[in-house]
Amino acid sequence: MHRKILVAGLGATALFLAACGGGSSTSTASSAAPAASSAAAAASPAAPAAPTDDSNCADPTVICVGLVTDTGKVDDKSFNQSAWEGAQAGAAAINGFSKYIETTDPKDYAANIQQFVDKGYDTVVTVGFLMGEATAAAAKANPNVNFIGVDQFNAVDAATQPNLTGLVFPEDQAGYAAGYLAGLTTKTGKIGAVLGTDTVPPVKRFGEGYQAGAKAANPNVEVTLVYHAPDNAFNDPEWGAAEAQKQLAQGADIIFGAGGNTGNGALIEIAKAKGAGDTVFCIGVDTDQYNTVPQAQKCLLTSAMKLLAEGTSDLVGMAANGSFPAGNYVGKAALADYHDTASKVPADVQQKVKDIIAGLTDGSVTTGVQ
Amino acid sequence: MSADAAQTDLGISGPDPRRELRTRAQAVIVPLVSVLIAFAIGGILIWLQGVNPLVAYKVLFTAALGNEQGLTRVMEKSTPLILTGLAVVVGLRAGLFNIGAQGQLLVAAIGAAWAGYAFQLPAIIHLPFALVFGMLCGAAWASIAGVLRAYRSVSEVITTIMLNAIAIALVDYLASEPLKEADQPLTRTPAIQSTAALPDLGIIPMGFVIALAVAILLGWFLSRTTGGFRFNTVGLNPNAARYAGISVRGTIVLAMAVSGALAGLGGAIETVGITGRFEPAFNAGLGFDGITIALLARANPIATIPAAILVGILRTGAASLQFETGIQPEVVDVILALTLLMVAAPIVGRLLFRNRALKATRVTSGWGS
Repeated sequence: MHRKILVAGLGATALFLAACGGGSSTSTASSAAPAASSAAAAASPAAPAAPTDDSNCADPTVICVGLVTDTGKVDDKSFNQSAWEGAQAGAAAINGFSKYIETTDPKDYAANIQQFVDKGYDTVVTVGFLMGEATAAAAKANPNVNFIGVDQFNAVDAATQPNLTGLVFPEDQAGYAAGYLAGLTTKTGKIGAVLGTDTVPPVKRFGEGYQAGAKAANPNVEVTLVYHAPDNAFNDPEWGAAEAQKQLAQGADIIFGAGGNTGNGALIEIAKAKGAGDTVFCIGVDTDQYNTVPQAQKCLLTSAMKLLAEGTSDLVGMAANGSFPAGNYVGKAALADYHDTASKVPADVQQKVKDIIAGLTDGSVTTGVQ
Repeated sequence: MSADAAQTDLGISGPDPRRELRTRAQAVIVPLVSVLIAFAIGGILIWLQGVNPLVAYKVLFTAALGNEQGLTRVMEKSTPLILTGLAVVVGLRAGLFNIGAQGQLLVAAIGAAWAGYAFQLPAIIHLPFALVFGMLCGAAWASIAGVLRAYRSVSEVITTIMLNAIAIALVDYLASEPLKEADQPLTRTPAIQSTAALPDLGIIPMGFVIALAVAILLGWFLSRTTGGFRFNTVGLNPNAARYAGISVRGTIVLAMAVSGALAGLGGAIETVGITGRFEPAFNAGLGFDGITIALLARANPIATIPAAILVGILRTGAASLQFETGIQPEVVDVILALTLLMVAAPIVGRLLFRNRALKATRVTSGWGS
């Protein structure tokens, strides 16, 4: 009886530890970030009164920028990280102070935003689609604070809510460019994509843009898109890996992974496959994943990027100098550098892809995605 | 097992008052000392990150308890934890380890959302209807595991875990297809009618009051009624219960249903009191926290209240901890894990009480039996 008890207790403990182990393991790794932010602020050229903490944020001459992550860490190698880099760069450029809070429970969105408001921050950046409502509510309640919703389409009229901007991206263009490259590069005539959930519109636009781009490059190419179920859509690397493997087995030689850790799981799996970087390739998303997911470097052709940091940094600057573009602000899409796989992409293909991106940017090429 | 031990475990006053006293003292002292040690170890972790632990803990507790908003959030966060904790407690008393509180909470949360938005009723009927409907959803979901255990001897540990996975997929489907709010992209149901919304009593959320009342009621039920006696007897020795004329199967099914209804009440209160609709991400992890709390409380219904409030305080203060000191919010989960480790594997009990340490019989007697 007694032994059974001990085993049961330990079993339950192990279960609990497993449930919360993921977060706690990173607890020391990223603690240097706040220090880095103040260093960045201090290093900016305009030396006078660069704030090193947020004690004077209520002073109108002291610019303070706060960032609230979605349920995820600020070093997630994806959205949160890019937005934080942008917020830091933007704050440094205007000699301001920047700081973040990591959300652990979606029910805390409003409370976390409020921390910055209470401390007199001038600009609050919130990251991710799911925080849209909390951000809009906070903007309404605090007309003197500027809110930047990264990757949040803002449905509120700019005239009635001049202190709120949604930073959105032409995901379909980024996906289109990636698909165009894949369509020109595939040898088997089959390409695939492992995506987060299609209930999140940006993810769907990535997927459909990818498909449209591939068909534009090569009408005969066969494109397989697979979306995760809505729950845990962005944090299921095992599912991503399994789906990538499935598509490889079906003959796809280029696979686009888009959806946080789920997509990263696909990329890492493809990098382990036979012929990775030679006959089999992967395409990353959001940021240049050559830097953010080094395990995928071997197969990584490019990444369909949203220039998130640039967009955030621009908006932080505009908020400070009074030219804040209320409503929605469309950032830029781009493809990342080819890095190690540059030799696998013929010069004429590289040129064609460059032309397509230019066409997308100036509007002469349209993706046909709603 | 001797008759003497059996009596103590049943909570009937034994022949030895000193033993009784020692039992009670241990039940309080062991978790308290465990919490203190966990805070000390957590303090070392904080200190290693270059922050004074005393300052950090002061920030954490001030944010949670130092103002009205903080207190309200502590109560809001504690509410579902008390109820899922009670769900696990009821199961443990009847010899069942219900790992499925999360799934039961989810189906109840979406059930209450549906009951809350799809009907036009006066508030006096609508709110109780939404709560009770949620509880029934939770009870029905748990009963699947209860019936399988009672009539086919399938371990409820396995079935409740599997039912969690099914519940997650089911509520996702419901919230993204038939019950989805139209004309917007998110996976969620429409907002509940104002007639189904749970009011606040000043700074005190009504849900918290309900949770406290349910905990006290359950404590009374388990220690003072024949129904509770049946649960305890079946949990301690199903064969003895059968000889005594107790329907073991009926008790198992009933205990699972009650357990599911309690977890379901937690989910229903989240919907009608906090989120105002069902949105899958907003209910993550609450059921699993219930296991933690039940073990911390050593399967005592009243003790789930302080255990849940402790977790609520830590979770509420965690964001401010990061805001003020830069410490990662997950440090509070480390503290909780350490506390549980010391309570569940009887490290502190052994240390303090040597060979007179209570065996955590009641907590885990259902495992594998």
